[in-house]
Amino acid sequence: MKKSTIYDIKAGLMFALPGLLVFFLVVIIPFVYGFYLTFTDWNGVSQVKSMVGFQNYIDTFKDTEFWSSMWLTLRYVVISVILVNTVAFLLAYLLSNGIKGQNFFRAGFFTPNLIGGVVLGFIWKFIFSNVFTAVGKTLGADWLSKSMLSAPKSAYFALILVTVWQLAGYMMLIYIAGFTGLSHDVLEAASIDGATGWRRMRSIILPLMVPSFVICIFLTLSRTFMVYDLNLTLTKGGPYASTRLVAMHVYEKAFTSRNYGVGQAEALFLFVVVALISGLQVWMGRKKEVAA
Amino acid sequence: MTDASKKVGGTKKIVIDIVLFALVVVLFVIFMIPFLMTILNSFKVKMDILRDPLSLSPSKGFSFSNYVEAFQKMNYLTAFFNSFIVTGLSTFFVTVLSAMCAYYYVRHDNKFSRICSSLMSASMIIPFQAIMIPLVYIYGARLGLLNHRGTLIFMHTGFAMSMSVFIFQGFIKSNVPLALEEAAKIDGCGRYRTFFQIVFPLLGPTTATLIILNVLAFWNDYLLPSLVLGVKAIKTLPLSTYEFYGTFSADYGLIMAALILTVLPILVIYLVLQKAIISGVVAGAVK
Amino acid sequence: MKKSIALISVVLALLMIVAGCSKNSSSDTSASSKSASSAKVSITLLNSKGEIQTGLEKIAAQFEKDKGIHVEVIACGAGEVPYTKITTMYNSGNAPTLAILDPTDIVALAKEYALDLTGEAWTAETDALNLTIDGKIYSFPFCVEGRGIIYNQDAIESVLGRAFDPDTINSYSSFKAILEELRAKGMENPVFVAKEDWSLGAHQLGFIYDAYDGTTAGSAEIINSLKNGTDPLTVDRFNQFVDTMDLLLEYNFAKADPLGADYDQGALELACGNVAFWPNGCWAWPNLVEGGAESDGRFGFISFVLGDDTSDFANTMIQASASKQIMVDRIQSSSEEQEAAKEFISYLVYNDNGQRMFVEETALIPAAKNNPYEPLDPLGKDIAKRTAEGRLYTSCFIAPSDHWSVMGAAMQKYIAGMSSKKELASTLSQYWKAQK
Repeated sequence: MKKSTIYDIKAGLMFALPGLLVFFLVVIIPFVYGFYLTFTDWNGVSQVKSMVGFQNYIDTFKDTEFWSSMWLTLRYVVISVILVNTVAFLLAYLLSNGIKGQNFFRAGFFTPNLIGGVVLGFIWKFIFSNVFTAVGKTLGADWLSKSMLSAPKSAYFALILVTVWQLAGYMMLIYIAGFTGLSHDVLEAASIDGATGWRRMRSIILPLMVPSFVICIFLTLSRTFMVYDLNLTLTKGGPYASTRLVAMHVYEKAFTSRNYGVGQAEALFLFVVVALISGLQVWMGRKKEVAA
Repeated sequence: MTDASKKVGGTKKIVIDIVLFALVVVLFVIFMIPFLMTILNSFKVKMDILRDPLSLSPSKGFSFSNYVEAFQKMNYLTAFFNSFIVTGLSTFFVTVLSAMCAYYYVRHDNKFSRICSSLMSASMIIPFQAIMIPLVYIYGARLGLLNHRGTLIFMHTGFAMSMSVFIFQGFIKSNVPLALEEAAKIDGCGRYRTFFQIVFPLLGPTTATLIILNVLAFWNDYLLPSLVLGVKAIKTLPLSTYEFYGTFSADYGLIMAALILTVLPILVIYLVLQKAIISGVVAGAVK
Repeated sequence: MKKSIALISVVLALLMIVAGCSKNSSSDTSASSKSASSAKVSITLLNSKGEIQTGLEKIAAQFEKDKGIHVEVIACGAGEVPYTKITTMYNSGNAPTLAILDPTDIVALAKEYALDLTGEAWTAETDALNLTIDGKIYSFPFCVEGRGIIYNQDAIESVLGRAFDPDTINSYSSFKAILEELRAKGMENPVFVAKEDWSLGAHQLGFIYDAYDGTTAGSAEIINSLKNGTDPLTVDRFNQFVDTMDLLLEYNFAKADPLGADYDQGALELACGNVAFWPNGCWAWPNLVEGGAESDGRFGFISFVLGDDTSDFANTMIQASASKQIMVDRIQSSSEEQEAAKEFISYLVYNDNGQRMFVEETALIPAAKNNPYEPLDPLGKDIAKRTAEGRLYTSCFIAPSDHWSVMGAAMQKYIAGMSSKKELASTLSQYWKAQK
């Protein structure tokens, strides 16, 4: 018992410590300091700050815009997670069956990830407000000559569309890794048993792919919950603040409204919500994994 | 099974294959629209871009002038070099450190590793805005470490640890047999040697995937470098294109040309490495 | 498998080698730059006007040649709020020696961070445009920017078939008449209203404050009365503003999709003569050029007309103020750096190279009246002419930093027809009441 503890510690020093040290210094310590700031009335730049107790948290609960943007984000996350993973899974499935030009297509679907968020939003804004409308005018189609970004519903949809476009390729890569990881023996045994098509998919492939699902859903969850760059450059929260997702709200609270403490408290609250939801998701996934 | 049924199955399969292929092609074209539009318009002047982004015969014609101007204004070679160093070293450190860390978590399942592991997973969902100010305060005002590439590399490594550890962990748990290590141990291999000679090579496919993901994240990152690197001489590519966005309006042609110039190197690396990555994934699966 | 590992390790090894070299070289350069900096001062300038970045860098280079002081121009582009940028810079201990900021930001930072510039010689050259905070001047008025409704004279005359005198547009009715005439003669929708929230929320709606009596003090007065619960519907300027806005919307080129009409398109349509009027400011000139306008083109301003009184200053003058100010950091810069910063400002005001390059390279209108160089573009020329004739009012309202975004959203809702005048008034009223 004791020997194994020493063994653990020594291995910990050798393997975990360097990485953990960097991680703590860069992520955890600033995070803790940020937590401390939520108890102050600091405005983000002043040299003086005084403790205000839980006032910022009380303000968070009173901030109705925060809650409406949270609700908006929640819906955005649910729709995006479902769409991204469906498309990604489908793509991965189609592209791991030895289709012609498989590698070429894989690379192609992944390319959206080669562009950073800010530029990506900019390009899509251009596509929505210039290219699509130009197509609409050429075809004489009225519904297409209006920019999708100019009405709340369609702008929201545009946001989701770009999210799917951007993330699907990334998740596809992980699903492909999952598919390739499936043991050929299992699949062969399954097809000898006569399991084909949908049945093969449902009773053999899907359960074995659970780990990939867990990872992918977790990644999409965290990414969509905190989407900021895209929100900023694509819709800027508009039209009339109808697509302002929660990360953007927090940012504006802290810097545009110069209410740093409240912004920071809202960011922490967001963190807790995402932590609970994704924790639940991973836990449920792991349980399924064990059951399968 | 008779020959006939096989044949029917055969034609049916061919039809399905064709349909699937068509589906992939259609999806692919839709996915590519933004890139095609970007490439097309990067050769036009702003007026023509706004007039008709689809036009194949713009009034001022196509020209390379956006590329030439972007190349000069971005200080391309310097910025490229900076991006290259920062991305390369960050990726190297995060890959090695996270693999080691994940290995420890999996092989030493004790309270400490479980706490650290969940702390890391939880940290993946910290909104960056929530630590941005404390981060610059600590590293800037307190330690005076900003404006060094090394600081950026250090921070990139820290921020990317969680996801890399998370993915490595899953892979090690399911795909690296303990037996191999025990054999190595019996052979008298040290722990580092066991890890780097036996375990790490087995992580090949995951490593390759993670390298790609991290390289992309580092190469394209804007917010963190903008906080850390204030001096022109050490700016990375995304930072150097930033002045193309005016307060009121942006220079579309320049931005698109700059985007292509930024993406091109990474695209080349991706296309070259892609074969290795895919074969790595497959080899890892077949073993 | 082995191949990929080999490939990766080769790449990594290469990187290590390159990095090893670079580390040496970078420490070399930093050492050399340090020794160089001890010989001459090096300061930084935060630029929140992306479009003049290149111009500023040229000025900085000339300044270094003339005065031996290096100025590093730091850009703050789209997606980055200047205030956030300077906040993070202060937090990181890297505060810029000089910062070009909006008056609102200066007000927020001045007392704690800005150097008192009250005694500087140039304050006499910029008198009316100085931003005073509690009787002190903390910032240099960098440039003058005017706003109103930009017209394209050629476009108007070719549709009307007669000469057009912009001075005849001096009331709501005269503006309405010309719009009607343009429509009757074939230009269906002669106005372009851009959808950007900063344009609608700060520049258009801002007329209700700025045109209160044409002074900054007056704008503060009306803002205070709104804070105290005055119903905007009882404020003349508000009612006049909404009337004019309705008129603009009635003749809006982008009527079918008002929130799809962006700034760039506005510049293009006005430059091409597809529309005759565009409510905007003199900063739009570079964008008009991109749209095909020539520097000898016939463009200029008419007032953002308010009401029917033809002698009302709001209908005969246009608003212009020092919308960008430069502050000097007091806290984190050495006194040597602060002196260098002051020298840079003096250079812009008094040095011939500084004066000339300011006008030619940034295409801005200098706030210092001793600058002899003429603006090069028609919009700048119009402002210069109006300065000479005293037909400008210099009010520059100070609102909280989220004013443009909150009221911009409300205005977007209004121009999209999704809210009524009453709702706009109530949003405005609630916004100000909450600021108390």
